[in-house]
Amino acid sequence: MTDQKAPPEHRVVLPVDPARRTEIDKQRVPMSARPYRLLALVKQDAVVRVQKEPDDTVMTWPHLLSIEFLAAVFMSVFLLFMGLFVNAPLEELANPNVTPEVAKAPWYFLGLQELLAYFHPTVAGALVPLFVLVGAAMIPFVDRENIRANRPSDRKTAVVLFSLFCGLGLVLTFLGIFFRGPGYAFTLPWVSGFHFSL
Amino acid sequence: MSFLERVDQTIRRSPVFRSIFRNPYPNDERSRAYAVMNNVFLHLHPVRVRQHAVKFAYTFCLGGLSFFLFLVLTVTGVYLMFFYAPSATQAYSDILQIQSQVPFGLLTRNIHRWAAHLMVFFVFLHMMRVFYHGAYKPPREFNWVVGVVLLFLTLFLSFTGYLLPWDQIAYWAITIGSNMAGYAPLFNTPSKTLLLAGLEVSGNTLLRFYVLHIMVFPLVAAVFLAVHFWRIRKDGGISGPL
Repeated sequence: MTDQKAPPEHRVVLPVDPARRTEIDKQRVPMSARPYRLLALVKQDAVVRVQKEPDDTVMTWPHLLSIEFLAAVFMSVFLLFMGLFVNAPLEELANPNVTPEVAKAPWYFLGLQELLAYFHPTVAGALVPLFVLVGAAMIPFVDRENIRANRPSDRKTAVVLFSLFCGLGLVLTFLGIFFRGPGYAFTLPWVSGFHFSL
Repeated sequence: MSFLERVDQTIRRSPVFRSIFRNPYPNDERSRAYAVMNNVFLHLHPVRVRQHAVKFAYTFCLGGLSFFLFLVLTVTGVYLMFFYAPSATQAYSDILQIQSQVPFGLLTRNIHRWAAHLMVFFVFLHMMRVFYHGAYKPPREFNWVVGVVLLFLTLFLSFTGYLLPWDQIAYWAITIGSNMAGYAPLFNTPSKTLLLAGLEVSGNTLLRFYVLHIMVFPLVAAVFLAVHFWRIRKDGGISGPL
């Protein structure tokens, strides 16, 4: 209790010595001459924000997290219903001596299997997948034109090439799934039925 | 105060509850920021995200859902592992047993199967979404490369899992798929031997695919996923609006 603060009357601000008046002191208006009163305080934040760019961010909690949660819930419900109503395929025990009538790769490799029907195996089985993977990884280092542009209309070449590539993959996979039957021969699904299992 | 509210309050005020959740339910900006920052699972996210990024039609949640499917596959996969032995003599009967004897076995196997196909599909879609948004452009080039590695890992996770039921579909799909590796010039035989542990699909292949499927690829994928998510933050968050 020894370090009590000095009573307020000892801390009265004395008028500034006229010889040492700064620019700010000159602009000061005596209290009695002030033609206005303080009506409200505006937070500094609000004043500063006028000069700032409008804030385009939102809080992660709850805006992003609620969407993620909803997406996860919908996906869970969808998977639950799929699991309840559609059974995963299971055929008879594997037998290396019996080649089934229809032997197809998993659907994501069916495009390659379809290519096997047209090209030499080295091309379809090894060079194309290698080219696709390495090519995909190199996209950002090859596409250096219009480096800032991210609007599809500003980078038509890249978008068209990529779309063509995806379309080609889609068509090949589609052919492999629906239009290939026993012995991987060409069939029409509406004539000889559906030869595919996921 | 109703009975339920009293129970709720008692739980919230208990020392056990407060030792788990240090802060009350976040209702203002400051506490919401702390909730994201101080939670080990949520701190993957920044405290604030750009407004266009939370619009569903920008990302369609494709990357997030791919990761969610990865988690679903981990959980259902671990459950299936309890009832499955990767041997040519036992694998198929184990699958039959899982479908008929194991509680929720059929459901778990179905979910694992459909989630796996869906994950491959969603990773493809995610890649297309990222391309059309030009989100691979600087400074995000390397994260695109990490993404391509993750696509490769996803395909091989699915491919190795495809063999495990050891039925006719599995056996012949893997035979065809791995025949393609045998067409590689120069190193065709070594690459096939490495993949199949032999010159054709056998019990050794089953064991090899099993170890790759349940241990090697998931671990490698988890590392690349961590890098992938980390890089999103470090490269300045999600890519800009169109």
